[in-house]
Amino acid sequence: MLQCIFLLSDSGEVMLEKQLTGHKVDRSICAWFWDQVISQGDSFKQQSVIASPTHYLFQIVREGITFLACTQVEMPPLMGIEFLCRVADVLSDYLEGLNEDVIKDNFIIVYELLDEMIDNGFPLTTESNILREMIAPPNIVSKMLSVVTGSSSNVSDTLPGATASCVPWRTTDIKYANNEVYVDLVEEMDAIINRDGVLVKCEIYGEVQVNSHITGLPDLTLSFTNPSIMDDVRFHPCVRFRPWESHHILSFVPPDGLFKLMSYRVRKLKSTPIYVKPQITSDAGTCRINVMVGIRNDPAKIIDSITVQFQLPSCVLSADLTANHGAVTIFSNKTCTWSIDRIPKDRAPALSGTLMLETGLERLHVFPTFRVGFRIQGVALSGVQLDKLDLRVVPSRLYKGFRALTRSGLYEVRS
Amino acid sequence: MFTQFGATADTLSKASTLMFRIGTDAHLYDDPEDVNIAPLLDSKFDSEKCEALKRLLALIAQGFDVSNFFPQVVKNVASQSLEVKKLVYLYLLHYAEKRPNEALLSINSFQKDLGDTNPLVRAWALRTMAGIRLHVIAPLLLVAVGKCAKDPVVYVRKCAANALPKFHDLRLEEHSSTIEEIVGTLLSDISPGVIGAAASAFTSVCPNNYSLIGRKYRKLCEILPDVEEWGQIVLIGILLRYAIARGGLVKESIMFSLHGRESSHSEKDDSDDDFAFKNDVKYDSDLARTISRCYIEGPDEYLSRSSYANRISLEFNGAKFTSGKSNDEVKILLQCTSPLLWSNNSAVVVAAAGVHWIMAPREEVKRIVKPLLFLLRSSNTSKYVVLCNIQVFARAMPSLFSSHFEDFFVVSSDSYQIKALKLEILCSIATDSSISSIFKEFQDYIRDPDRRFAADAVAAIGLCAQQLPNMASTCLEGLLALTRQDFSTCDSESNNGEAGVLIQAIMSIKSIITQDPPLMKRKLYVHVVIQLVHSLDSIKVPAARATIIWMIGEYRNLGEIIPRILTIVLKYLAWSFTSEALETKLQILNTTVKVLSGAKGEEMLTFRKVGSYVIELAECDLNYDVRDRARFLKKLLQCSLDHGELELDTDCPPKKDLLQVLAECMFRGQAKQLSETMDYRVYLPGSLSQIVLHAAPGYEPLPKPCSIVDHELGTNVIRGVDTLSEKADGTDSSSGSSYEESASDYSSERSMTVSSGDAGSDENSSTREFDNTDPLIQLSDAGDANQNQNEVPQSTSTNLEELMSKRALETWLDEQPGLSNPSTSEQSQLRKSSARISIRDIGSRVKPKSYRLLDPANGNGLKVDYSFSPKISSISPLLVSVQVSFENCTDETISEVTLVDEESSKASDSSESSLSRKDVPTLVPMEEITSLEPGQTAKRIVYVCFHHHLLPLKLALYCNGKKLSVKMRPDIGYFVKPLPIDIEAFTDKESRLPGMFEYTRSFTFIDHIGELNKDNGNNALVKDNFLLVCESLALKMLSNANFSLVSVDMPISAKLDDVSGLCLRFSGEILSNSMPCLITITAEGKCSEPLNVSVKVNCEETVFGLNLLNRIVSFLS
Repeated sequence: MLQCIFLLSDSGEVMLEKQLTGHKVDRSICAWFWDQVISQGDSFKQQSVIASPTHYLFQIVREGITFLACTQVEMPPLMGIEFLCRVADVLSDYLEGLNEDVIKDNFIIVYELLDEMIDNGFPLTTESNILREMIAPPNIVSKMLSVVTGSSSNVSDTLPGATASCVPWRTTDIKYANNEVYVDLVEEMDAIINRDGVLVKCEIYGEVQVNSHITGLPDLTLSFTNPSIMDDVRFHPCVRFRPWESHHILSFVPPDGLFKLMSYRVRKLKSTPIYVKPQITSDAGTCRINVMVGIRNDPAKIIDSITVQFQLPSCVLSADLTANHGAVTIFSNKTCTWSIDRIPKDRAPALSGTLMLETGLERLHVFPTFRVGFRIQGVALSGVQLDKLDLRVVPSRLYKGFRALTRSGLYEVRS
Repeated sequence: MFTQFGATADTLSKASTLMFRIGTDAHLYDDPEDVNIAPLLDSKFDSEKCEALKRLLALIAQGFDVSNFFPQVVKNVASQSLEVKKLVYLYLLHYAEKRPNEALLSINSFQKDLGDTNPLVRAWALRTMAGIRLHVIAPLLLVAVGKCAKDPVVYVRKCAANALPKFHDLRLEEHSSTIEEIVGTLLSDISPGVIGAAASAFTSVCPNNYSLIGRKYRKLCEILPDVEEWGQIVLIGILLRYAIARGGLVKESIMFSLHGRESSHSEKDDSDDDFAFKNDVKYDSDLARTISRCYIEGPDEYLSRSSYANRISLEFNGAKFTSGKSNDEVKILLQCTSPLLWSNNSAVVVAAAGVHWIMAPREEVKRIVKPLLFLLRSSNTSKYVVLCNIQVFARAMPSLFSSHFEDFFVVSSDSYQIKALKLEILCSIATDSSISSIFKEFQDYIRDPDRRFAADAVAAIGLCAQQLPNMASTCLEGLLALTRQDFSTCDSESNNGEAGVLIQAIMSIKSIITQDPPLMKRKLYVHVVIQLVHSLDSIKVPAARATIIWMIGEYRNLGEIIPRILTIVLKYLAWSFTSEALETKLQILNTTVKVLSGAKGEEMLTFRKVGSYVIELAECDLNYDVRDRARFLKKLLQCSLDHGELELDTDCPPKKDLLQVLAECMFRGQAKQLSETMDYRVYLPGSLSQIVLHAAPGYEPLPKPCSIVDHELGTNVIRGVDTLSEKADGTDSSSGSSYEESASDYSSERSMTVSSGDAGSDENSSTREFDNTDPLIQLSDAGDANQNQNEVPQSTSTNLEELMSKRALETWLDEQPGLSNPSTSEQSQLRKSSARISIRDIGSRVKPKSYRLLDPANGNGLKVDYSFSPKISSISPLLVSVQVSFENCTDETISEVTLVDEESSKASDSSESSLSRKDVPTLVPMEEITSLEPGQTAKRIVYVCFHHHLLPLKLALYCNGKKLSVKMRPDIGYFVKPLPIDIEAFTDKESRLPGMFEYTRSFTFIDHIGELNKDNGNNALVKDNFLLVCESLALKMLSNANFSLVSVDMPISAKLDDVSGLCLRFSGEILSNSMPCLITITAEGKCSEPLNVSVKVNCEETVFGLNLLNRIVSFLS
């Protein structure tokens, strides 16, 4: 079981410590940790499980904040990691974002939340709906009130009813004048195009996000026209397994507000909406680079926010890059971003330029990988389609909405 | 360019954050000590207290020690404001262990809060009280937890479950049974939320107490999908362990097939889905066996068995197998965990996948593949851990993942660890059909900017080629191209990465060639070696050069071209020797000698020259390693080197032979690639140990299959008690209940026989035919007074005859001698609704409690224990006999041990007999133990006359001539002796001691609950709960006081669980004045819960009676 949780700022300062069990963990572990971060760099920050000399550490990094949990005994490591993720989610939900300042400013709330979320190293209440009722999030009103009156309590006097309910994710009595449900399909396209320009892998990772504001205890069913194309699925705890097993129907009592109902994957797609063709030739210490971008299969919607990003190899001394469309920026860490936004009708965007190599180096032997970003509103490229959304008891005024969005995920073009 | 603007933006954002920070606790965090905290804490306003506490918390957050405020903070625990309470609790929990004495001050307030009507207050109080971890409050806490475990509010019960591990941390052995009992209660809770927390308590409190799971197993499986995610993770583990401990591994599962290859082969023949198995044949059965054994034994234990052969030969003696198709427990577990593979929590998915991996039939294991792979995309933070688990699965059963190779393609955002894992997995799952795509990927990776990764990719190519020999030539070509390409770029460079790639490429080539004895592809290999030799000129990396040189020596005889170029190569090496790095020099020396030792004919001369040149050079080298090596080789090869000159030396031939043989052994033989060892560690899927690759503290391998046997667990269903029969023809229309005792094949010492009439005597020899005309259920005593105590029923047949004629329900009571059968009709009318039973052989189970008189630590290694013995002294009725056992814990003999009383030791000078003084407790001098050997135990009965003094008796213990003073505590329970009387005499006496001679007290009795639970799990015998309660009460009583059991009356009621009306009677007489002393114990309540027990003492001697009553209450409750 977890023994202690530390919150570290991006400069390694311990902002908060919460001891969970009788076996106190000294903060010196954080010093050790930070020493490792400094000596091993980013790759250390990406390790989720670390065996330190005295403790096992689990870490996640969210927006510069490192959440560090310690244990000395065997426990499922994913439990520690998932719990830290949950803490990060709840905190960023409460504080509307995460950074060093908001955590310090609201440290009391962070303490209270942590105390409620974990008891003796085992998660207690992690459902954000219940937490919100127990500990009021800081908002403008309460802040103003505290300024004016000098006091405010954010701790609720009563136990939220949802703790006893069989749908703990839902507050017991909610009332809305206008009932609304919005269903969004948010898809991310992952693709790998190898050096020969062959599409090695292309798949869609999608999420069904629901934003519901419905009175009472609604029971929703959502069905797809083509559920069979989804390869893998994962569900929010509110989804009942049986209907999905038998008919591929999502039946659920939704939490209030925005939440991720399910995630899915559609694999082995055959094409991508845009193409990116890099060409790199090198000779005698200089290197010519040429990148072409264009639309391959028109999805009949506008593709925007197109960006191409790549890391110049370390052996490149200087780069001179120009584009016939969009802006090219080279950052100090040799990351190069070319933002195109929309592809103009009249010409195909192209980036070209020369790179100067280190002295003594004739030719380039490592090649950058181009990460492509784009966004298409109004279409789910995987082809997943929602069929219908039903409520068992239809409330008086109900508005149902549906949207779709596809953006690039891990879209990589190797050169 | 826009620095100015940037600066403005920066200040703007700062200003906006400042705005944003208004009204938060920012100032408290930044400057917690800008006001004096102490007065604020004592303020009467909650808001000021709050502020002070927040400041303290800020200091805690920043790592300052503010425990000096503890007393002031504790006072505020009684505050009504929940916010203050919460903050105080946060502070308390952080410091309570440091300041235990002050923390005690808060206990009253917690006690009060525990009775609060607000469940939140109750829950918080319980959480904090348990969290402060003080040994002294353990009893209070136990009561509190027990109470909260029955709270109507789910949240409070959940907190109670969470409090149990905290309690367990205190390591209070004496309460462990009660704790386990509460765990059991919570595990059968109706709310899934509570069950999750209870499961977690179970794993930390009593992970091996499978009896708690036994009966609830099915219910727990069914409720699993509704339990909250954290609970699911833990509960899945518990259920898996239980299923294995109960039924063993599944015959159709991977674990089994990995076991014996033969069995998997034989099954394959008659199996329909041949295809799946054909792929499986590929997997390494040794490796697979290792895995399944590691799961069960833990790798440390398994791998420590030294010899590899030993490991294989050892069959799974203990392992038993069950069939997944017929075993319902396995089926339901798989069924209930499979939807969890869709869970949103990656830990749940991995836990569920682990269950399927171990338990599911082989053809169904593949259902875990997609969910696991999906985790790689959908939960980024879990990626590494999931990959580590997949790696093990993929090694053991590559066919599972082989068609999903695309999922392991590396993307640039992966960290190095993830990339390396992916490469490894790709290597192990590569098949002939996928290798070409994988190979293409690897080629891309070689150009990755991360050179360490590129080197790994090169190594992976080598590995793939080794696994799939068809690919070897392609791989070799590619690798060769790489070496050629790389040396053009990395010449000038100090770039480690490049060198790494190059070394790795050559290592890979080497491993491909060495793996396969070069018969098949001789031409190719010759070509490769020659290519490498050619590149020697341009390759500058020492390690790479060394490897190539080694290959020259190794393959000097390969093909036809290599031997021919050897001369040139050797000359080249000799020429470059001085400029080489250390490892290359050593390798050149080796190669030269190798070539030399195998040389023949005209080449010999050249080689010899070159060889002696190189060795001479080496002898003058700066590095001592090289010099040593040179000298050694020189000695070894003296003969062949100096062959020309010393040919005629007479000493040489024998010497030459020996050395030559030695040299040939060392250098001639083709090096054999050591077969890959299986010595890598495998831990349970999803465990921390699997990630860190060593057993983390607390890691438990799976339980031994079938380690719990049926009768231990037994699904105890109470079969008795349910037939309640009204006898119409009975004279008194009283009801009798029939208890049926099954499975009395058990030895007689444990069975309690309460047998019924109607049921007749079927299997139970002690069940007697029983005439319906008299329905009375009656206590009877079969054992003859003076007969052997543990007599088996059959042997008392004469008595039985008699009993049968009296138509009583008989049972056996050996404890009570001299009690004649009291079945009379008046008696039966008195007890209409109760059955009188006897508890057989309780006497043999009575164990008088033992107390420590002298601790070996204080007594120079002499341990002295004493217990009050129920025996009556033959010397004087006033004396209480105490059994004292002396044990020598030292290595030396202890002599002259004796125990006398303090007074007499003083008085011995004045020669005044202490016995003569009337009122002082005295000890009859005991027989001296002349010597006590190490480890020996001597027992002595000493007689003490306590004169009803309850204060500890000071005694002097002499040993080895030294005097040690010790204290013996009198036990009022042994100031009496048993008075065997029958029930009429009892009631008669009782009626003569009314009013002021009668004292009662009541308390709650909980001991039997532990007994009940223990029994649930361990005993297939259908035992009656009532009997258990009676038994535990009687046993407790008799073990602590010297009474005799007169009767046990059991209520007969419709309610199965209600023991109200249970009545036990005990009698005794006071040693000093032979006054009778009667005790009646009655119980009320349900037997699964704490009982309200009242004790009544009837005794003429008031003070003694009251003291006795207190004593009884104290040991019973």
